[in-house]
Amino acid sequence: MPNILNVNNVKKSYRMGKVLVPALRGVTFNVEKGEFLTIFGPSGGGKSTMLHLMGGLDRPDGGTILIDGLNILNLSESKLAELRLTSIGFVFQFFNLLPRLTALRNIELPLSIAGVPEREALSRARGMLELVGLGERETHRPAELSGGEQQRVAIARALITNPKIILADEPTGNLDTKTGHEIIKLMKKLNEEKMQTFVVVTHDPLIAEEANRIIYFKDGLIEGIEENRTVTRDE
Amino acid sequence: MTKTSKILGMAFENLKQRKLRTGLTTLGVVIGITTIITLAALGEGFRVEIQQRLESGFELNVLIVFPGSFLSGFGQPFGPTDVDNIRNVSDVTHIAPMMTIPTAEIRDKNSSKLGAFTVGAVNFTDMQKMLPRRFQLMNGTFPEAEHNDTIVLGFKVAYRNGTALVNVNDNLTLIMTTQSPPYRVLANTTLRVSGILQEGGTSGITNFDYWAFIPLGTGAEIGGGEKYQIILVQVSEPQKGQQVARDIEDTFQNPYSISVLVPTSLQRQVDNILVIVTIFLLAVASISLLVAGVGIMNIMTVSVMERTREIGILKAIGAKSRTVLAIFLAEAILIGVIGGAIGILLGYGLSYELAGGLSGFIQSQQQADGLFQNPDRQPLGITPVFSLEWTVVAFVFAVIVCIVFGLYPARKASKLNPVEALRYE
Repeated sequence: MPNILNVNNVKKSYRMGKVLVPALRGVTFNVEKGEFLTIFGPSGGGKSTMLHLMGGLDRPDGGTILIDGLNILNLSESKLAELRLTSIGFVFQFFNLLPRLTALRNIELPLSIAGVPEREALSRARGMLELVGLGERETHRPAELSGGEQQRVAIARALITNPKIILADEPTGNLDTKTGHEIIKLMKKLNEEKMQTFVVVTHDPLIAEEANRIIYFKDGLIEGIEENRTVTRDE
Repeated sequence: MTKTSKILGMAFENLKQRKLRTGLTTLGVVIGITTIITLAALGEGFRVEIQQRLESGFELNVLIVFPGSFLSGFGQPFGPTDVDNIRNVSDVTHIAPMMTIPTAEIRDKNSSKLGAFTVGAVNFTDMQKMLPRRFQLMNGTFPEAEHNDTIVLGFKVAYRNGTALVNVNDNLTLIMTTQSPPYRVLANTTLRVSGILQEGGTSGITNFDYWAFIPLGTGAEIGGGEKYQIILVQVSEPQKGQQVARDIEDTFQNPYSISVLVPTSLQRQVDNILVIVTIFLLAVASISLLVAGVGIMNIMTVSVMERTREIGILKAIGAKSRTVLAIFLAEAILIGVIGGAIGILLGYGLSYELAGGLSGFIQSQQQADGLFQNPDRQPLGITPVFSLEWTVVAFVFAVIVCIVFGLYPARKASKLNPVEALRYE
């Protein structure tokens, strides 16, 4: 499988007041097309920072990140936004839907930003809503949806632009175990049926269980990589 | 284009979600624009009113020459040489010298006083040529030069509230005294009413409603020679007034010993003053719009902080900084457009409301001051004047103020780091 993403000796520090706190201290790995990769580790290990860098929300202090062959370090602010719009989908722990928009409009938003005509955008958004099993919830606003439903809307929004990769940051972190599991199942299904590449950051071992590959993060370094896992489905 | 409408739609939705806040922010713009529109309309209305009064009160091609100046008081009256010198100034087409006898008193046959302010001694033919529109008879005839026992009355000397106090051919007693104590009677003659002038109506120097006129010869006889207090000078065209005035001044050894009233330059000066006053008022009103702008900046800065997370989300899903900037600027522009439009409408309404009140106030002041005691004098009334230019300027100004003050918070929003914005609680 070709690599969609190359991470090579990436370093990143944050300034907390006067202290420079290293979050990543030289990390190297690849993401292959179609895989379900989990970055696993305790909080504060640099997982989220890694995800932000992979999604072009931030730039590394050192090393290179190639998204589909493009070095994000060389991209302008505006090109980076374009890359996020067309190649990356984000799923967050706190869903991050726009509270004033309906489920349908939240899903449609990236297409709207991309300038897709409204009629087409809405019909594609409806299709996505069906795909994540919320066809009946079209006109509901986030506050009228359960946590699990909100996360499904968020997944649909991430998926709508046919991104090369979906980056999920603790997607079950704000859900109960059962709902969390359903969300992971949904992502697995999309991964298997649509060959959608997923990178999921988590500290939940149950989710890591579902991954093809697990990268263990600790203190800003990779502790180990568990390759070629065959996932036994439990149903 | 679809993107622009999309951004505007989004901005509109955002504003709608915060109705109270949007309303209050817009109110600032509304107040500013209402004030500007109202002051512009009333200022222009006042200017037009004053101009009309000046035009109806003066003949624009007639200069008024009198001895002395406003500062030094009345000087020596003009003599026959002065009259001839003025007559010879180029572009002077006609002149009419006049003697005024302000202490004159007129009594009718029952010895009751008639309300004449001034008695003027004139050549009636000259006066008719000078002021063909104004110096016209309603009844009777103008006296021939040799008929020195006749008098012509101004309309309001002869008529009070529509009733004639005196008729043509009635005899009146004219008593003239010296101008300062001890008052000495110069003349006490009986005169026949030869004619009654048409009503002048409007204000101005050439309104003779409260005047009475006697032939020049009679005046010279009573006043002891040809001593003119006023010389009316007709110029070939109103634009030459200024030049002719200078030339007239040059015919005197001391140009400061006389004054020449040029209606066109008076008109221009009054106009300039009114324009300056209007501009000053508008400048003050503009400050209120700037205050509204600060309000917009304030509210938008708060709004950007509140929506930090939302901005982070927008950026994470691929919105460019430019798009975020556009969304926030669009909100500011919408506030300007809505506030401007409401302000213009309110300004129109308020102008009419205030014009009525203001006219009433001016009239009551005039009466209280005794400035215009005559009740049937046409009262000063202001009609607001709206110009498309001013309306457009005010509207554009409102939108520009909103853009300028919205730019800082909008830029702040667009520059937010997405990672930090997403972390914002």
